[in-house]
Amino acid sequence: MIEETFHQISPSEFFYRNRDLAGFSNPTRSLYTAVRELVENSLDACDQKGILPDVHLSIKALDSEQPDPKQYVLTVSDNGPGIDPKYVPLAFGTVLYGSKFGLKQSRGMFGLGATMAILYGQITTNKPVTVKSNVDGKTQEEFVLLLDIQKNKPIIQKHTKKDHLKRGLSISIVLEGDYSKAGSKIREYVYQTHLITPYASIKFDGPRKAEDDHQSYLKIIRKMPPPPTIIKPHPYGIDVETLRRMIADTHYQIPTVDNKMIAKVRKELGLQKKNLDVKGILDRAQRRWKNLSRPVRIVIALISFLQMEFDSLSKIRIDDIDVDNKKLTFWDFGESITRTIEMNPSSFYYKQLANTVQGETLTSFLAKRFQRVGLTTAIKFAEFAKLKPEKRIGSLTNEDLVKLTDSLQKFDQFLSPDPGCLAPLGEEPLGRGIMKKFNPEFAAVIQRGASAYSGFPFIIEMGIAYGGNIHSSGIEIYRFANRIPLLYDEGSDVVIKVVNEMDWPRYKVKGDVPLAIFSHICSTRIPYKTVGKENVADRLEIERELRLALQFLARKLSIHMSKRGKVEMAKKRANLYSKYIPLLARFSTKLAGKKKEPDCRQMIKVSEGIEEV
Amino acid sequence: MKKSKNSKIAEKKRIELLELLKNRGLEIYDDLEKSKFPKFSIPSRSVSNIVYDKKLRQYILGNSTAIRSAGNMSQLRAFTQLVWLAFFANQLLSEQKTSTLRDIYYSSQAFEVDFEDQPESDNIIVDLEAVLARAREDFQIFPEERSSIFGDLTIEYTVPGYEGKRSNLSDHPDGYLIGPSLNTAEFVDTSAELVIAIEKGGLFTRFVEEKVDKKFKAIIVDTAGQAPRSTRYILRRLHIELGLPVVILTDGDVYGEHIAMVIKSGSANAAHLRELTVPDAKWIGVWATDIEKYKLPTIPMTESDIKRIYELQKDPRYQHGNWKKQLEVFLKIKRKAELEAFSKYGLTNITDKYLPQKLELAKSL
Repeated sequence: MIEETFHQISPSEFFYRNRDLAGFSNPTRSLYTAVRELVENSLDACDQKGILPDVHLSIKALDSEQPDPKQYVLTVSDNGPGIDPKYVPLAFGTVLYGSKFGLKQSRGMFGLGATMAILYGQITTNKPVTVKSNVDGKTQEEFVLLLDIQKNKPIIQKHTKKDHLKRGLSISIVLEGDYSKAGSKIREYVYQTHLITPYASIKFDGPRKAEDDHQSYLKIIRKMPPPPTIIKPHPYGIDVETLRRMIADTHYQIPTVDNKMIAKVRKELGLQKKNLDVKGILDRAQRRWKNLSRPVRIVIALISFLQMEFDSLSKIRIDDIDVDNKKLTFWDFGESITRTIEMNPSSFYYKQLANTVQGETLTSFLAKRFQRVGLTTAIKFAEFAKLKPEKRIGSLTNEDLVKLTDSLQKFDQFLSPDPGCLAPLGEEPLGRGIMKKFNPEFAAVIQRGASAYSGFPFIIEMGIAYGGNIHSSGIEIYRFANRIPLLYDEGSDVVIKVVNEMDWPRYKVKGDVPLAIFSHICSTRIPYKTVGKENVADRLEIERELRLALQFLARKLSIHMSKRGKVEMAKKRANLYSKYIPLLARFSTKLAGKKKEPDCRQMIKVSEGIEEV
Repeated sequence: MKKSKNSKIAEKKRIELLELLKNRGLEIYDDLEKSKFPKFSIPSRSVSNIVYDKKLRQYILGNSTAIRSAGNMSQLRAFTQLVWLAFFANQLLSEQKTSTLRDIYYSSQAFEVDFEDQPESDNIIVDLEAVLARAREDFQIFPEERSSIFGDLTIEYTVPGYEGKRSNLSDHPDGYLIGPSLNTAEFVDTSAELVIAIEKGGLFTRFVEEKVDKKFKAIIVDTAGQAPRSTRYILRRLHIELGLPVVILTDGDVYGEHIAMVIKSGSANAAHLRELTVPDAKWIGVWATDIEKYKLPTIPMTESDIKRIYELQKDPRYQHGNWKKQLEVFLKIKRKAELEAFSKYGLTNITDKYLPQKLELAKSL
C-alpha cells in the first residue's frame, strides 16, 4: 500500500503555484495586471475616505538597452489615507490580509491583487518591494520588504522614517514585464480609468520618450459620488444554501456541552470551585436567571431534564433534541450507550430549550436579516408562501427551505435592493466625462434602478455618444465594472453580446457610424467569468438590465438620427443640385450647338427648397 | 461581282444620329432656359417588358417606359451622366473618333461626371442606346471583344486618315479584325455568294487553309463564341446590303444552338435595339441529330448544359421546327460534340464531306 502524505501549503504558496489564475501568466499580461492592481488599490483607498484621488503611475526600465521582456520599476503613488505603519508589513508582506471582506462595492476583492503583484515581482526579479506610507501628513515611514513564501510572512529588510508633509501611499516594485507588448493596453487602461473616474487626476509616465507615454489626465469634476455602505442581503435571488447558512447563523442548534462550556456555566453561577447537586444548581440558576447568558440558560435547561450534575454532564454528548416528540437523545461515554428521555412540555425549561433549538420566528428572521423587509411585508410574504408567520426557522424542513427560497424569488412586493452598498458613478459625472473626452455631437446617459442577481444587488449605468472624436469603424464599446475598465477577452462579454444583438437599423444606425457605448456594471459581486476579471458572464438579470438601458439610449439616439437625417438630406440635395445643374447646362449647350449657356442659378436656388418628386 | 446597293450608308447614318442627338440637346437646353427640370423617357428594360415580336422575329421592348428626371434627387446624377454621354457621343461622331467601354469610364473623369465603376458607365451606355434606339457602335463606342472575317470582299474605309482607301478581306490569311473601321467601311464589291459564320477560331483558320472561301464562294466569319454586336451588325449588313445568305456552324451543344439563334433573332439583353439580327440566317450544324448520323465522338453534358436546355425550352423561339427538335434530341442523348470532333475522320473531313452536305441541305431549310 502506498502511503499518501498531505502537506498544508500557505496562501502565498498557493498563489505562487496558481499565479496565472490571477492574471500573472506572462510578462505582458503580468505588467498590465500589476499596474491595474496597484492603481485600483489607490483609487479604492481614496474613495473610501472621500478623498479626490491624485494618482501617479510610473514605469521605468531598469536597463533600457535590454530587449523585452526585461525588468521594470513600477511605482504607484497616491494622496490617499496611507496605511498605519504597524500594519504595512502584514498588509504587503502576507497574502490574504485585507480589509475588503464586507458586502459592498469596491474595485478589488479582498485586496489580493497588490500582494500578488508584489509576489510576482519578487519571483521574477528577487527584488524587494518598497512601501512608503504617510498617514498624518507629518511623517513618512518607508519599508523595504520581502515575502517569505513558505511561511506567508513578511521579512523587513529596512525601515526608516522621515519628515514629509504629503499624506498618501507609494508602492514601488521591480518586476519582469514586456512593455513593448503591454504598453498600448496600459495606456488604454489609464485613459479609460480616467473616463470612469472623472473626479480623479491620473498622471502616467511610461518608459518611452514618446508623447503618449507621458500623459496627465486632470479632474473633470470635483465632486465625489457618494461612498458605498455595507448592507444585508436582499431576498430576491437568494439560494437555498445561502438561506441555510443564514439560518444556521442565527440560532444555536444543538448545544455543545464540553468542558469549556461547563467552565462557563460554573463561572456564571459562581460555582468555580464548588459542586452542587442538580436541585442546588437549578435553584442557584433561578436566582441568577436574569444575568445568565443564553448558552448557559440552555445548559441549565438540559440539566433539568437530564437530572445530571456537572461531573455526569461532562461524560455525555447531546445527540438530538426532538421538539415535536418532546424527546431528548444523548450519548453516554461511560456506558457507551445511546439514551433517550422524555421532556415535560409544561416545564419552564422546555420552552427555553425549544425556542433555542427552533430559532426565531420566520417573520422576525426575515425582517431582521434581510434588507427591504419589514414585519408587515414579512407577514404578507408568509401568507404568500403558505408558511405560518410564527413558524420557527429551526423547524423548517428541507422542503420548507426550498419552498421558502422559491417564494422569496417570486414574491413581487419586496422593494428593489438597497443600492446603498453600490457606488455608481452617476449620470451627470458619466455624461461630463463622455462630453469632455469625445466632444460628441450627441450623447445620452442612463442609470437604471437597482436590481439583483443571486442576492447581489447591481446597477447598470450606460452612456451612448455619436460623432465628435469617435472613429466610425464599427461601434466602440467601453466596458467598465465597479469603475474598472475591462480591456481583455471582450469577445465573450455579456455587454458585447447585448450590443451585438441589438436591432440597430431599427434605431436608424446603419453601416459604420461614429458610435461609442459606455457600460458600467456596479455590484457587490461582479460575476466575472475568469479570475483575471476581464469579462462579465451573461447572467439573465444583468443581461436584461443592460438591454433595457441600451434600448432606452438607442431610442434617444434614433430621435437625434432622424433630425440629423433631415438636415443631411437638405444639405445633400443642395450639394447635388449645385454640382449637377451647371453640368447639365454645359453639356446641353454643346449638344444643342448653342453658344450661350442657359442661366440656371434660379433652379439651383429653388431646388434646395423642394421636396422629393 | 456584286456591288453594294447602299453606298455611303454609314455616312448617312452618322448624319442622322448627329441630328437626333442635337434635338435631344435642344430639348434639355429649352427646359433649362425655362427653369424646368428636363427629363427623358426611357423604355423599361425590366424582364417583364421584354417581349418576343413574331413579325420582327426578335425580342423587343414593350410599351412600358420609365421617366428619368433631373428634378428627382435620386435620379439627378444618372440623368447628368446620360446627358454627358450624349454630349460625348456627339463629340465622337463629329470628330469621327472611336472609343471603348473602358475609355468611356475614364473619359468621364475629365468632366466631373463620376462613374463609380465601369458597370455603372456601361449601364448608362445601354440607357442611351434605349433612348435613341441605336446601338452603341453607331455612336462609336465599341466593346473590347473582337472577331474576324475573311473572304473576297472589297471595302472602302471611311475613318479619318483612311478615307477612300480600299482593302480586300482575303488579302491577309489570318483574316481581318471586325472593329470600328470595318464597321463603318463601305462595301464596294464581292464575288462571294454566301456567308459562313463559324463559332471557333481554330475552325476559321482551317477553313481559310482549305480555301473554303474559294470552293464555296463564301465569306467566312469567326464569331469567337457568342457573336459580339459588331459581328452581328456586319453579318446583317452582308445579308441586307449584298443580299448574301448567312449560314451558321457551331459546336453540337445547346450553347452552339443558341449562338445561332442570337445571330438569327437577337438576345434579350439587346431587346432595345433593332438592326442587329439576320432573321433569314440558317443554322446548319452541328445538330444533335448529326452526332448520331456522323458517328461523332462525344462528351457527356454537364448539369448546367441540361439546365440551359430546360431554360431555352421556355423561349418562344424554340417552340417549333428544327429548333425544338434539336433541343429534345440533346436532352435525350445527354451528350454533346464539338466541331473538332470531325477530326477523328481526318482534318479535312469537315470541309470535304460535312460542309458540302449541310450546305446542300440548307437550301431546303
